[in-house]
Amino acid sequence: MRRVPNEASLPERASLNSATVVLDERTILRGISLELAPGLTLLRGPNGAGKTTLLRVLAGLAPLSRGRRHVPGGPPLYIGHRPMLLRGLTARENLAFLAAFRGHVASDVAGALRKWGLGGEMDRPIERLSAGQRRRASLARIETEPVPVVLLDEPFADLDSDAIVRLRAAINTALVRGQAVLMATHLHHELDQDATHRYLLEDGTLREI
Amino acid sequence: MNPLDRALLVAARELAAERRHPDGLVAALTFTGLLVLMESLAFGPGQARQPGVASALFWIAILFAATLVATRSFDRELEDDAIDAVLVLDGGREALYAGKLVAISVVLAIVALAAAALSLVLLDLDVALAGHLVLVGALGILALPPVIVLTTLVSLRVRARVALVPILSFPILMPQLIACTQGAAAALSGDASAALGWSGILAAFALVYGVLGLTIVPAAIE
Repeated sequence: MRRVPNEASLPERASLNSATVVLDERTILRGISLELAPGLTLLRGPNGAGKTTLLRVLAGLAPLSRGRRHVPGGPPLYIGHRPMLLRGLTARENLAFLAAFRGHVASDVAGALRKWGLGGEMDRPIERLSAGQRRRASLARIETEPVPVVLLDEPFADLDSDAIVRLRAAINTALVRGQAVLMATHLHHELDQDATHRYLLEDGTLREI
Repeated sequence: MNPLDRALLVAARELAAERRHPDGLVAALTFTGLLVLMESLAFGPGQARQPGVASALFWIAILFAATLVATRSFDRELEDDAIDAVLVLDGGREALYAGKLVAISVVLAIVALAAAALSLVLLDLDVALAGHLVLVGALGILALPPVIVLTTLVSLRVRARVALVPILSFPILMPQLIACTQGAAAALSGDASAALGWSGILAAFALVYGVLGLTIVPAAIE
C-alpha cells in the first residue's frame, strides 16, 4: 500500500491562490487563498455560499476562472453530497475499482467495509442499499484510499449515530497518518474539538474563525 | 498503473455493471431487432435482400444501437455522481473515454451478431464472402463508438443530450456509415477488393477518431 507522507515529509501543501470562480455570470468564489495543513480543517458557511464549489475546485472537478490550484501528492480523495459509486456494482467492487485505479492494494476493502457495518451488505449491488448504507460505503474510501488530501462535503448527511462515531474514528486515523482533511459541514460541533483550522465562507469570501 | 491498464479497469467495471443490469444491451437488441423486422416488411422481401439495401438497414440499426448503449452507459455514471470519482483521478478522463470505448464496442458486437443472425434468417441473404463480411463488421463496430462516446462525454451536463448526441455525432459519422454499408454490400455480393478497401478506410476512421478523442477528452469534459 502507498505510504502517506506525514507533515514533515510532505514537501508542499495543497493550496488555492486568489481563486475566483464565475458560473453563469455569478461570482461564486472571490479571490480565495487557502493552504491546507495536515490536520482537520472545517469549512462552514450558509447554504449556497460556495462550499461545494470550493471543494470541487480543489478536487479538480470545477474550473477556476482566475487564480491557481496546487495539490501535491496526487489527486485528492473527494467525497461529495452523493455516494459517487456506480450502480450495478457492489460496494466491494466499487471500492476495489477506485483503490486499484490509484495503484493502492485493494485487498483490505472487505475489512474497511466491515468496520463500517457493511459486512453482510458488501456484495449486494449498491442500488439495493439504503441511503445511509451507500453513504457508509462511500466514506469507507477514507480507509481504502489513504491519500494526502481528503475533501469531505457534508459527510454527516444520512448517517446514524453509530456511523458518526465510525466517521470520527476514520478521520482521527487519517489525522494520525498526517493527512490533510478539509470538511464542509453544518454539524461543526461533531468535530470542532479535533479541528486545527476553521474557516467561514460567506458571499464568496473566506475568513479564518 | 499504466494508461492501458486504467482503460481496461474502466472497461471491466462497465461490463460488470452492464452484466448485472443489461439495460443498454436489452434496449439495443430490442431496437435493432424491431428495426430490421420493420424495414424488411416495409421494403418487401425482394428489395430488402438486395446487398446495398440489407447492408444499409443493418448499419443504420447498429448506429442507433450504439447511441442507445452509450447514452445508457453514461446515464448510469451520472446517477449518484459516480463519474466524478473517476474524473478526479490522474488519467481518469482518458481512461473513462478509452474504457467506455472498449466496453461499448463489446456490447455492440453482441448486438451486431444478433442483428446479423436475424437479418440472415429474415431476409434469406446470400453471403458470398463470409470472412470479408466479418472483417467489415468488426471494423465497423470499432469505427462508430469513438465519435459517439466523445459527443456523449462532451454533452454530459446538457439536459437534452439524448437528442443532442445524434445531432452532433451522425453528421460526423456519415463517412463511416457509408464505408460500413459499401463494405458489407461488397462482401455480400462477392467483391473482395472493394470489401478490403472499405475495411481499410474503416480501420483508419477507428484509429483517427480514437486518437482524436483521447486528445480532446481531458479538456472537453466539465
